[in-house]
Parts: sequence; C-alpha cells; structure tokens
Amino acid sequence: MELFGILKDLGIEQSTLLMFAMLLLLLVTGIPLAFVTLLVALVFALGWFGPMAVPLITSRVYSFVSSFVFVSVPMFVLMAAILDRSGIARDLFDAMRLVGGRLRGGVAIQTILVAVILAAMSGIIGGEIVLLGLIALPQMLRLGYDRSLAIGVVCAGGALGTMVPPSIVLIIYGLTANVSIGDLFTAAFVPGFMLAGFYVVYVLVRAYLNPALAPVAEGPQPTRAEKLHLLKGLFLPILVVIGVLGSIYGGIASVTEASAVGVLGVTLSTIVRGEFTLTLMKNAALQTLQTVGMIVWIGIGATALVGVFNLMGGIDFVKTLITGISDNPTIVLIFMMALLFILGMFLDWVGIALLTMPIFVPIIRDLGYDPIWFGVLFCMNMQMSFLSPPFGPAAFYLKSVAPPEIGLGHIFRALLPFIAMQALALAVLITFPGIAMY
Amino acid sequence: QEYSFRFQSSDPAGNANFILQQGWTESVAEMSDGRIEIELLPVETIVAHNETQDAIAAGILDGHVTDTSYFAGKDAAFGLIANPVGAWSDPQEMFDFMNEGGGNELMNELLEPYGLHFIGATTPGLEAFVSAVPLEGVDDLEGLKMRAPEGLVQQVFAAAGAAPVNLPGSEVFTSLDKNVIDAADYSVFSTNQAQGLHDVAPHPVYPGFHSMPLVEVSMNLDAWNSLPEDLQQVMTDSVQQFAQSQVAALKEADEAAVAEAQAGGEITVHDWPAEERNRFRSIAMGEWEKVAERSENARMVYDTLTGYLADNGMLE
Amino acid sequence: MSDPTAETSHVGAEAPRDEGAPVPEAGLLGRLIDKGGLIFALGIVAAMLILIQEVFLRYVFNAPTIWAHETTVFLCGIAFIYGGLYCTARDRHIRVVLIYDALGPRMRRTFDVVISIICALASLMFTWAAWTMVARAAFAPGGEVRLERSGSAWNPPYPGMLKIFLMLVLGVMAVQFVILAVSYARRGR
Ligand code: NA
Ligand code: NA
Repeated sequence: MELFGILKDLGIEQSTLLMFAMLLLLLVTGIPLAFVTLLVALVFALGWFGPMAVPLITSRVYSFVSSFVFVSVPMFVLMAAILDRSGIARDLFDAMRLVGGRLRGGVAIQTILVAVILAAMSGIIGGEIVLLGLIALPQMLRLGYDRSLAIGVVCAGGALGTMVPPSIVLIIYGLTANVSIGDLFTAAFVPGFMLAGFYVVYVLVRAYLNPALAPVAEGPQPTRAEKLHLLKGLFLPILVVIGVLGSIYGGIASVTEASAVGVLGVTLSTIVRGEFTLTLMKNAALQTLQTVGMIVWIGIGATALVGVFNLMGGIDFVKTLITGISDNPTIVLIFMMALLFILGMFLDWVGIALLTMPIFVPIIRDLGYDPIWFGVLFCMNMQMSFLSPPFGPAAFYLKSVAPPEIGLGHIFRALLPFIAMQALALAVLITFPGIAMY
Repeated sequence: QEYSFRFQSSDPAGNANFILQQGWTESVAEMSDGRIEIELLPVETIVAHNETQDAIAAGILDGHVTDTSYFAGKDAAFGLIANPVGAWSDPQEMFDFMNEGGGNELMNELLEPYGLHFIGATTPGLEAFVSAVPLEGVDDLEGLKMRAPEGLVQQVFAAAGAAPVNLPGSEVFTSLDKNVIDAADYSVFSTNQAQGLHDVAPHPVYPGFHSMPLVEVSMNLDAWNSLPEDLQQVMTDSVQQFAQSQVAALKEADEAAVAEAQAGGEITVHDWPAEERNRFRSIAMGEWEKVAERSENARMVYDTLTGYLADNGMLE
Repeated sequence: MSDPTAETSHVGAEAPRDEGAPVPEAGLLGRLIDKGGLIFALGIVAAMLILIQEVFLRYVFNAPTIWAHETTVFLCGIAFIYGGLYCTARDRHIRVVLIYDALGPRMRRTFDVVISIICALASLMFTWAAWTMVARAAFAPGGEVRLERSGSAWNPPYPGMLKIFLMLVLGVMAVQFVILAVSYARRGR
C-alpha cells in the first residue's frame, strides 16, 4: 500500500483536524515538546507529499536558527543567568518590597512595572519571560506570594514585550500589511499600558480580597539606616536599565545590540559587587545554552509545522473558512478574532501571521476598517496565543526555568484569569477603537 | 486545468509588488485558456526568501518570483547580474540587455545547472534611497551609517566612503527612528512611504541612484520541460508583459507617493544631478571587477555585461 | 553520576546550586555532548562581546565592521542547534507529563523506550533531509566542493557551515536517542 500521499485524500479540512488532534495526543504522551511539532510536521510532510517534502523542514530550521532577531534571546537569558547567580535579584526584590511598603500585592505590581520596562527594551518575548521567570518568580515565592498569582504576573507581564514598542509582531504585521510601523507602534502603546493596568488592578483586587495571596512585610519598620542599605539594591539594576534604554533611545545601539549592552551591564554589576568569578560566568553561559536549547527548539518545531501546513494549502483553507461568513462587518471581525484565538492555541504567532494576514488584511480594508487598528487587535490576540493551552509558548518558556515542582498544569491553570483579561482588553479595543486610534 | 504550479514570491502579502505578481498569475491563466494555474504564495510561507532556489530544485516549490541577488552566496555571478549597481538608469535598459544582449541566455546558463529554468526578468524599478540626513551627492556619503543589503550594493557604498551596517529589514525602521543608522537601502519610494520610513527619515533620494534589482521569474527545469511549447511561450510572453505593467504601475504609484510626500511639507525629496550619478556609477564599476574575480561564472557575467555596455556606447 | 560542570560557586548569599548533568542513560556520548556544551556556551559570550565592540566601533569611531553581525548570528545559530542536542543528553527538553506521571514504573520505561525510538527515527529522517540541503550548500552543481556563502560584502561561508553543522547535530542526536532507548530498555528488564 502506498502510504505517501494517503493524508492528501482526507482533504485539508479533515487533515487540519487530524493535525490538531495528533498534536494534542502526542503532547500528553510526554514526547519532548519540540519533537511533538517536528513529528507532526514530518508525518504530514510524508503523508501528504512524500519524502521529497521533508527537506522543507530542515530548510525552515536552518532559516530559523540563522535569524538575526533571535540573537537577543540568548542575551536576555544570559543576563538572567548572571543575575540569578549574583545577589542582585535578591537585593532588588528586598528593596522593591520596601518601596511597595504596606501596599498589598506591591511586589507583584512592581514586577509588572519591571515587565513593562523590559518590554521597552525587547521586541520578542522569549528572553523576557525567562528573565522574569529566573529572577522575579523565585523572589515572589520567597516573599510568600501565591504561586498562581506570581506565575500569571511573570508570563502575562513578559508577554507584554510585543504590545509595547519595539515589537517584532507589529513589525511583521506592518511588512505584511504594508502599513506604517511607526503608526502601529503609536497605536499599540496605550492598549499595551491598558492591558498592564488590567493586570495591576487584578493583583490589587485579589490581594485585598485574600491577603494571604500577597503578604506585606511584617514586624517593626526598618530603621533609616536599614532602609538606606536596602535601597542600595535598586541602584545597580536601575543603572543597567538606564544603560540599555539609553542605548536604544539615544541611538547608540539597535534593539538587538542593546540586549548585549544589558549583559555587559549586569556583568559589570557583579564585578562592582565583588561577586564576579569565571566559574559564575561559565555556569551562567552553560545555563544559557541549555535554556535557549529548550526554547529555540520549541520554535524550531513550530516553524517546521507551519511550513508543512502552508504547503498543504493552509492559506486557501483559511480563505474558505472566512469567505461568505456574513455581510455584517462586526460578525466578520469577531469571527476573525475567534479564528485567531483557535489557531493561537496550536500554532506559533509567526505561522498565524503567515496563514491569516494575506487573507484578513484585504478583507479588513474592504470592510472599511483601519488596518492599523486591526494590527493592534492582531497583536492583542497574539498575547492570548502566548498563554493559551495546549501550545502556550510563554508557559513553556517559564517552565524551562521554573523550579521543577511547578508543572505545566500549574502554569496553564494560573494563566487562565490572565487570558480572560487579555480577551477583555481585546473586547474593549474592538468596542472603543479610539483607545488605539487617538 | 492541466498544469498547476506553486510559486513563492520574495514580497510580503500586502506589498504592491505581490499584488502585481498576483495579477501576473491571473494573466497566465487567461492567456493559457485556463490550462495553467499558478498559486502565488507570499514570502516565507513555505521556505525563507533565500531558500527558494533549493526548494524549487527539490520539487517542493514549482517556481519563484524573487530578487536574484539572494543567491549571491551560491555563486557571485548571481549577485553581479542581479544588481550591477550603476549599469542601468532605466528598467527598459535592463530589459533590452536581457532580451537582446544575451542576458536571458546568461541567466539560463547560470540557473539550469541548479535545476531551474529562467522564464523572464522583471524589476520594481529604480529603488529610492531612504535617508534621515540631506544627501546631495557622493561626497555626502562619506561616513554615512547606512543599512545596505547583502552583496554588491554594500560593497559599492563602502567604496564610496559610507559605513554600511548589516541589519535585517525588520530592524530598519527602529534603527532609523532612533538614529542608530542615518540611511537605508529599502524599497521603491511608494513602499517606503506606505511603511512610514519617510516619517523617520525625511530626506529620500528619488529617483534612486544605487539599485535596480533583477527580479527573476523562474521555475523547476523538469516542470518547464514538461510544458508543451505553446504553453512555454505563454509563460515567457506573460512575464514580458508583466514586467512592463509592473514597471508602469510602480512608477505611477511612486509619482503619486512623491506628490503626496511633497504636499505634506515635512519630507524633502532629493534628486541627484547627472554628474553625481555618474560619479557613483564609476565607483560601482570598479567594484564589478572585484566581484568578477570571485567565480568563473561571475567573470562570464562581467564580460557579457561590459561587452554589451561598450557595444551600445553606454560606457563613458 | 558526577556532574563535570557543577563546581560549587561561592556567590552572594546563595547556596551551592545544582547545575544539572547528562542523564545516566545517555551514556558516554551524553557525557561528551555535555562537555562539548562549553564551547558553544562560550560562543554565546563571544557573541555578546562582539556586539558590544560593534556598538563601540560604530558609535565612537563611526567605523562599523562588516563581520560583526554575521558572526554573531552564526555563533548564536550554532548554539541554538547544539542546545537542542545538549538538552537531549540532559533530558531537559520540555515534556508534558500529564499521562506519563500517572503511569507505573514499568509503563514509564515502555514509554521512555518508545519515545526514544520515535525521536531517533525522526532525527534520522531529518539528518537525511539535512543532507539533501548540504548537498546543495557544500557542492557546486558541477560537483566540486564550494561552501555556500552569505553573499554579503564580507561573504563568509557561514551558511554552508551552519547547514553542515545542523546535519551533524541531527545525526548525533539520532545516535543519542538510540543509546537512550537501549539504556531504558535494559533498565526495564
Ligand atoms: Na517591546
Ligand atoms: Na497558545
């Protein structure tokens, strides 16, 4: 019996369902995640086309690993690994607790603030979530914060990286839709802050309803001298932040180069603190290798799958789904958002952009909507895709550095309320376009 | 239809080039009475922009519409024929070389060993130069930090005294915005305008002086050979027509965008005088020679090209 | 199993930390892969330093290099590829253990063996696919050896090198998965 091509007889509709089912099934068997997507890509390459299509997978892998934008990922991870091995993170969070004072959830809120600052430094989320996961998560847990709350703040906060300019999601959208990247950046700014605001409000509400979730410092107020000593913990990190942001906004370094400036900054900080050793650097570099191995290979699998699905006619399939859905522009728009959400459960955002944008953007223009505004909606929708199970890259990135007792199940459960807030933000943005298009 | 092909473009979906290329696939269907159907996919959908040649040879894709200079790493000859900086001051000059000066035959001599057949050439036209600082001539390039694409263009700018910076297209906007670079080679004026580059770099040089890429339409050699002669003729003719209509359409779009930019008052369009363009061209031609050293094929391209230019009195 | 990299570091107030190690089932190959990781980890540090010097040369001396960015991408690219192999030897690729954790020890072994065999087969298939890519990147159509270059003004042979490296790593990965499968099967008996 001829096995090659057998899947083609199923047709694209059945095959897509089969693909998602297979992803889910292989995922829960405990196969390494990167290989789940690679395997499904392989099965469909062989089953739909035959062996001649398999080199498409290795070609995509090659292009993925040789892409300049990903250079910032190991830089952020290295920064995190060095911070993690020094006392900087600990001192920073002790100082943050002091600044947070008696405000319930103060440290979580400051973590969101740190996430927003990181978002202004980076355009992709992998490195940011690893950084927050290595630094903020253990510190929040140490300070007695609820695990789910801490996980949610780290993943959702880290994902903000693509809402706040610079953002690779918005850049790719701008290139695809042929609209101004500057306008996209401007439009995404306020919605990004709105989303961060939702997170802050959520933390406050949860913390005041149940104080056990976010303990404040107990005991006597620290003395002035103690306070000054604690506040010194803020000094070096703030200097590093100024260095990185200054190099980007001062026109000294490109966004990717600035991530290396950050590594230099934290390395100098450890030297100043007398903590620097070659062993520290070596171990931090080895941890970076391992962490990027984990997270880049997840991306490798995702990019392989997208190439195969596109070759199978994925774009045409999406087109048939969307055509003739309704004459009502609002319904078309909401259907698009729902489709993006469902795709976001299984696919990587780059793949979703490649699949849907060639079809969606012309329709959006025809319906009379502003493509800039739609770009912000797309970006907001992709916020959900980072967090949504079963394939939630943010959860995987966090898992790659979280303490082993925190399982993916915990992480995904912790993320549900944050996905709900992202959906709310999306709804608000659809209802009040003025938030983006002021 | 009898023949169904999948082509990948080197342009993204919303780009004017891509939309025009889709028009080409429609005209192929029409001219062949529906016997050939071409599905055109945007950049990166199947493989990366610089991997299509391999994918076509392997039979994963059937063809591509792509800038030939992406394959300069395979053979320097691709880089030289794709963008002999300074050789052409008008798309028609390049088309004449391709059709009458041996360019088409040369392309097939280069491509067929790789398992591809060259159908025809098109171009988006003379690209405009994006700059945040006023540039009036070659002297202003001295020390200019600029993003240039791979290959000959970068080399020529370096020879002209600029400091070329390697940056991916995705970082051009932010780097111009934050003054990490002063200028960039990007795309044609209308695309640059649409993507907001002139908002952050308000001193474009138009018409451009530096680059007019050869965009090849080519396909798998076996698939080409499987076509009957009349359909091969349809493919060749359709690409010729497409090239003319693309150049005309983009020129019109560029002129509209220039008018819009000038009316806005915040963008100053700079046009270099002929003597400055000639100075740049003579710098460029010094670099052709260096590329010719890189491979036998590159030498062959160099000889054919300079021979043609000399025969037609296009060398000073 | 002793960890070759886990030297205790006396840093800050933190306790000596566990830097991880290859799983015993990965065998000698796993230990070699683990040792080799240092080269690529240092490559990441080198990439960082190159980016810094590039910023410095460009901003202070207005003299950007033509090699820094391509070299950085290359160093990161080989680290990304090797990182996958490194995680295989350490069994640190992320896995969803929903069902796996609910299984008894016998079934877990069976799962480990089957998963390793499947991954070995997939890696083998990808090694072949990478070979078809290398065949075009390392040889000219005429058959003579010529590494695919980047086509830039500097024109380094990084693309060809990276494609060959990818093929080699995929091949070693296939072998590593076979070793893992055999080890798990032996332990199961
Ligand atoms: Na950002
Ligand atoms: Na998801």
